[in-house]
Amino acid sequence: MQDPRIMLASAALLSLAAFVSIWGAFFALLWWLVFTPRLRTLQNKPAVPLMVLLLAAVAALTSLTGSNGLSYFFRMVVILLIGTWVYTVRKEGDFLAVSVWLLGRRAGFEIGMTAEMGLQMADALFEDSIRMRTALKIKEQVWGIRNVLPAGYLLVHDAIQRANNTADLLAVRGYRHGGTLCPVFHPLRWDAVGGICAAIILLTAVASEFFILYQ
Amino acid sequence: MKLILDQVVARRGRWSFMAQGGFGSGIHLVTGDVGSGKSTLALIMARLFPPEQGAVRSEQILTVMLSAQFPEFYLTGLTVAEECVSWGLDADQILRAAGLCISTSTPPLCLSRGELKRLHLACILARQYDLLLLDEPFSSLDCSEKERLCTEISRRQDGITILFTHEQATFPHIDHIWEIADNCLVDCGVLPGALERWQHAPALVKKLVRAGRVPENLTSDNIREAACRTRG
Repeated sequence: MQDPRIMLASAALLSLAAFVSIWGAFFALLWWLVFTPRLRTLQNKPAVPLMVLLLAAVAALTSLTGSNGLSYFFRMVVILLIGTWVYTVRKEGDFLAVSVWLLGRRAGFEIGMTAEMGLQMADALFEDSIRMRTALKIKEQVWGIRNVLPAGYLLVHDAIQRANNTADLLAVRGYRHGGTLCPVFHPLRWDAVGGICAAIILLTAVASEFFILYQ
Repeated sequence: MKLILDQVVARRGRWSFMAQGGFGSGIHLVTGDVGSGKSTLALIMARLFPPEQGAVRSEQILTVMLSAQFPEFYLTGLTVAEECVSWGLDADQILRAAGLCISTSTPPLCLSRGELKRLHLACILARQYDLLLLDEPFSSLDCSEKERLCTEISRRQDGITILFTHEQATFPHIDHIWEIADNCLVDCGVLPGALERWQHAPALVKKLVRAGRVPENLTSDNIREAACRTRG
């Protein structure tokens, strides 16, 4: 998908559809199979299996309390797949461009810039965790429960330090609010088809849920 | 004891480089511009980054240590004491070796980059390794600390020590010079002959070589002796 506006809108619509009903999740999964590079978006993402395990644990707890844990698990996994797809295929500046296009040069620029910084931070945390594992390997230590607390502390500390540095840099450069950006998009016909399908899936999910409640 | 790079090719995105050569016992200097691939080569030698082609072979090398450029990447302890213990070392002994007057309960992230580098290098140099890879060991250190580190490195008698640096002023006693040029590792040879083939040589060394006063080595004493040498 080339147009980030359609990509983000589709992701939002499909996540909502998956959250609303099991059928919405099912059709969102079909959409994911048709419009995304599928399993290639999950490569080199060690956090995804961990997230699935976490969701499975929450689903198991939900089942124990009498709710439908399986439905929760399926819907959340579909949302995770959609989110991972967006995270993988997005390019630097996509969020800023879409935000400025949608909300203008002041609020849009600031929201977009914050989103871009958040994503940069996520990438940096991933890099840091790889380096930390290398350090443990060099020190002939095994990655385990004992390392979780120091590793977590160091990762958070580095993240805060980076945020401080960025804030200082913006202040030194005289940033106050807003900014100018002229985003250019190149939508493909296939993008539009994907976007329309995502909208139909959400409508179907909402409608099916409405009729179930009405009956 | 020898480390052999057999037609090693490394690739990162569009960037790639080739390395071929054998590193015997002694102190080796690998130089090159920023971004030329020194750190990647160090990771390959430490077997932490797999080469795309070729192989890294070692003969009689049992223990390997890599000191990366940024010491904070190696932290795994919440205090200086824990950090030293994570290296299997005594904190008080390390703080003395590093010349740091701080409490062992200090969080390592509260230290300045220079102090952290000193702590890290003290931990690394406290033990003997068959292969010691030092990536930019002089970064974040002041002149006196650089000199102290050079003395420490020059003291290493056994094993292979490889320095990856673009430092231009302070060096320990070097046995062999290599440089990365045009995406290839080039063997400049042993000193002092290597100084005449070394493209990344410091300006003063180049000037001395051009004047026919080739220094015996790269330590400050050697450079001073060559600069003050009289013909006749």
